[in-house]
Amino acid sequence: MYDGACLSEPTRLQRAVGELRVTVKRFGSETVLDELRQVGCLKARFPRCIVPGWKDVVMLNTGGGVAGGDRLDLSIGVGEGGQATIAAQAAERFYRARTSDAPSRVRTRLTVAAGAALEWLPQETILFDRCALDRRLDVDLAPDARFLGVETVVFGRTAMGERVQQGWLRDLIRVRRGGELLLHDAIRLDGEIDAALQRPAVGGGARVVATLAYAAPDAGDKLEAVRTAFGAAEAGASVWNGMLIARILGADSASVRGTVVAVLAILRDARPLPRVWLC
Amino acid sequence: MMTTITTDSDQIMTTLPALLHLMAWLSPAFPTGGFAYSHGLEWAVEAGDIKDGDSLREWLTDVVTNGSGRSDTILLRHAHRAVSDPEALRDIVSLASAIAPARERRDEALNQGRAFQLAVAPWTSTHLPEDAPYAVAVGAAAGSQNISEDDTAVAYLQAFTTSLISAAVRLVPLGQTAGLKVLAALETTILATASETKTATLDDVGGCAFRSDLAAMRHETQYTRLFRS
Repeated sequence: MYDGACLSEPTRLQRAVGELRVTVKRFGSETVLDELRQVGCLKARFPRCIVPGWKDVVMLNTGGGVAGGDRLDLSIGVGEGGQATIAAQAAERFYRARTSDAPSRVRTRLTVAAGAALEWLPQETILFDRCALDRRLDVDLAPDARFLGVETVVFGRTAMGERVQQGWLRDLIRVRRGGELLLHDAIRLDGEIDAALQRPAVGGGARVVATLAYAAPDAGDKLEAVRTAFGAAEAGASVWNGMLIARILGADSASVRGTVVAVLAILRDARPLPRVWLC
Repeated sequence: MMTTITTDSDQIMTTLPALLHLMAWLSPAFPTGGFAYSHGLEWAVEAGDIKDGDSLREWLTDVVTNGSGRSDTILLRHAHRAVSDPEALRDIVSLASAIAPARERRDEALNQGRAFQLAVAPWTSTHLPEDAPYAVAVGAAAGSQNISEDDTAVAYLQAFTTSLISAAVRLVPLGQTAGLKVLAALETTILATASETKTATLDDVGGCAFRSDLAAMRHETQYTRLFRS
């Protein structure tokens, strides 16, 4: 009980573990829930759908943010011909990690079957000073499946005067279609992050980086409209192999969200955004 | 570079042919069409991000350290090691073909890779598919001839940097001396990146040269263009 060795050990904090598995399938003209498994801090809710034929899934992290050493595993599948929009109830926060902590580990696997569509529309990822995040999004598409995904990383809430002076980030998006690797987008930033973001070829002073991927037969047709939707924002888009990639940089999350919403309107044919985006 | 050259005559016998190969394959005269690509610099010059030697040096430092220079060197090193393993080479090609941030950058890598493989045929052939990005093609060719991996990495980064400086000299425009000053200043960056990538795994591919990537995307919309990327 009074073991002196324990006092010199760094205190082991309780770490959050969350697991969420959701699959949906087509049933007549609707998309309905097929399987649901919720473990630990991750939950899913299914609000009444706004758009016929689409299933809305809202993810919740009851842990109220993610700390070093936390592990989140998500797996979402859309069965043949189904259509689903996945959103998060709120922006996800990644807090300062202690140097003894392993990075927070987030793994998300999205599987989209033949003729199906999946939209991955979580809200912003907010990084705090000295956070450590290892995140990976794997998307597996059937040859004729459609996918839209957006990830926005906020390097410190500027309105709160916060900066990510130091940190460690690995943020990977991988998209496969019919087994072929279409996209391997790996953001890798560590050390003096705020200083790096100031450099002209890195962020040019931006503290918010949004990445959009859209894989669909009409990706090429959308390119000009997406570029127009950027307006004066610091942004670019390109299309190859039936996939559109866009990157948007900005000084604050409100302005980047405005641009992301404008681009989503183009890519979603003006279908309304998940209601949690408007709260 | 070429640190293996010593007064020992055996080593000179093994490294001098390697030196010859690298100098030929990575020379601007080698017909890979490298002169046609600016890697987005044409847009960065148009946008005013690159306007003199100092801003060019700062931009290229990040392209080499945190951008495609570093990622391509990792891919080159792994292709060098996988030269006799067609399956591993295929995986490297698939990864290397998926990391481009923009269509023109993908074309830049694949077109040069294709041209390089045709041009290097008198020296060597590899198990690579025809559509292999440039860095992977260079790595595999060097590996097939037992040319030192470290020397190849340094020579590749030097040729890449030189080619971009040459594009910038024409675009800004800069005097030849100003361009060479940038090249001399970037030698430590080249050596550091070559050394840092030595132990990197394929999971270490990636970076944060966001505005360099944006420049490549926006180049597609540039009205007057001298370069294909």
